Amino acid sequence: MIELSVSRARSTLASLRLAVLMFLADPQWLIPSMIAPVIFGLVAFEIFRGSGPYFVVYAILGAGMMSMWGQTLYGSGWATGQDREFGTLEPTLQAPTPYLYVVLGRVIWNVLSGLIGGLIVYLVVILAYGRPPPLVDPWAFAGLFVFVVLTLAAVGVVFAAFYVYTRYAGFIQNVGEFAFYVGTGCMFPVVLLPFWTSPFSLFFPPTWALDALRYLAIPGYAGFSWGFGIDLLGAVGTTAVYLAVAGSVFQQVQRHVLESGDLQEY
Amino acid sequence: MNEAAIEAHGIGRVFESRKGFLMQERVRTVALDGVELSVRPGELFGLLGPNGAGKTTLTKILSTLLLPTRGQAKVLGVDVARNPELVRPRIGLVLGGERGLYNRVSARENLRYFADLFGIPVERREPRIVEVLARVGLTDSADRRVEEFSRGMKQKLHLARGILHWPQVLFLDEPTIGLDPRSARETRKLVRGLVSDGVTIFLTTHYMFEAEELCHRIAVLGHGKIIATDTVAALRQLVGGDRTFEVEGYGFEDAELAQLRRLPGVSKIVSEEFGPRLRLTLRVRTREIVPEDIRGVLLNHAELSVRERGTSLEDVYLDLVEEGT
Repeated sequence: MIELSVSRARSTLASLRLAVLMFLADPQWLIPSMIAPVIFGLVAFEIFRGSGPYFVVYAILGAGMMSMWGQTLYGSGWATGQDREFGTLEPTLQAPTPYLYVVLGRVIWNVLSGLIGGLIVYLVVILAYGRPPPLVDPWAFAGLFVFVVLTLAAVGVVFAAFYVYTRYAGFIQNVGEFAFYVGTGCMFPVVLLPFWTSPFSLFFPPTWALDALRYLAIPGYAGFSWGFGIDLLGAVGTTAVYLAVAGSVFQQVQRHVLESGDLQEY
Repeated sequence: MNEAAIEAHGIGRVFESRKGFLMQERVRTVALDGVELSVRPGELFGLLGPNGAGKTTLTKILSTLLLPTRGQAKVLGVDVARNPELVRPRIGLVLGGERGLYNRVSARENLRYFADLFGIPVERREPRIVEVLARVGLTDSADRRVEEFSRGMKQKLHLARGILHWPQVLFLDEPTIGLDPRSARETRKLVRGLVSDGVTIFLTTHYMFEAEELCHRIAVLGHGKIIATDTVAALRQLVGGDRTFEVEGYGFEDAELAQLRRLPGVSKIVSEEFGPRLRLTLRVRTREIVPEDIRGVLLNHAELSVRERGTSLEDVYLDLVEEGT
């Protein structure tokens, strides 16, 4: 008898590989991942034109976040929705690998494709309007940038769980998309929003992370009054909370699947 | 010790759903109600039952995809509800149908993905994929996208995935449904081959001839309970014998029916309208009576047709299900 050896890392890699293959096989994903960033980049630049020497940076960050948001968060949410649509949820759950690691592989791909979206925005703005001023600490910026995408993914994984609970999760996510854009300060700083929105904004990790990123990218930036350090802590803390919630929710998701038995329908 | 490959003791399963505009009404459905069964190692065990009888629910419970409301089920000696992680690597599940596959990628990629999820040793993965694709007859289509596959090819791929990790027990939920006769025959041949290899198979099907052709033993499930479990031959005896006479004519009287019942070996008579005529189905246990004995009772009927045939599994099934209702 052959000894099977289930590895979580291998399962995650297999899931990542399949996600890439599915992406390459389906041209419709070119729209959110390649075309939308170009449009976001151009629109953002026009909005911020003339607002100061660092408006190019602001445009890149805002548009980049919006395109990454679309790709990373939405894609991560869809990580389980696709299994329900394809009818592959049950065969996947029947495999010995915990489902969370399958979702993780897909989320990693969504993070990577989100980064590609951010890069496209960067290139579009440079090609159209010239290079932005150099960053003070490009390595810190790059590291934080990757972390920002991870914060999006963390929110996305929580969404992913809801796709198992309800087939209307996609609808809810679509409705909430623009509220998230505004609420997390992708295009405009959160401080410009009405006071009562702050508690909602601070509930999302990207709000903190994006503000921290602007501190690194724009000299003299004045976002939240507590400054860069607290922004960073807030981003790490809220992301940790989201990841913990995601882990716990996925335990419940697997239990829910075992209890409901109705997941073949979509 | 020859432990059962699959055991179910008092398995019950209740589903609750809500309906109404505000989901205010709670609907309770009993899908399984105290199922008892035992499948021997290496056996091909068939589960028959009408739509909604609970076949798929039982299959899902035994294959760790659904928790039973009550009762205990073991596969290869391991409790499926308490230790699903120990059961899953040792069993295969084929739910079949058009869905359940990643259609945008190739058959090989589908298998590669599941091989990784099942932890097939890396050095064995590619040879094993080649092997199972050959076994189900998909070698030439291995690198085609699944969305280009016919229903039969998809079913073969489902099977290939089910056996990819050398399962000791394979659950097949209506594996030939919707297949053309040739594909269905190939699937049945494959199933027989797996049994020859020592794989225990738990098969649900609607096709009586398929169950009769393939299964060592059969269980009939009705209204969430196992009505009977045995070999086809034994089930025939259970429903009144392996000989069946079909008598068609007009205006049979109660006295004549009573006389037929008194014939030696006649265990059961079912009367039903058949177009403008009446059809009597006589189940007979012994070899003693011949068509002439029946004609002798129904002498005054000019338009009389008496035909003998073996009791089919379909007869057995319908009798059992009707008795169970």
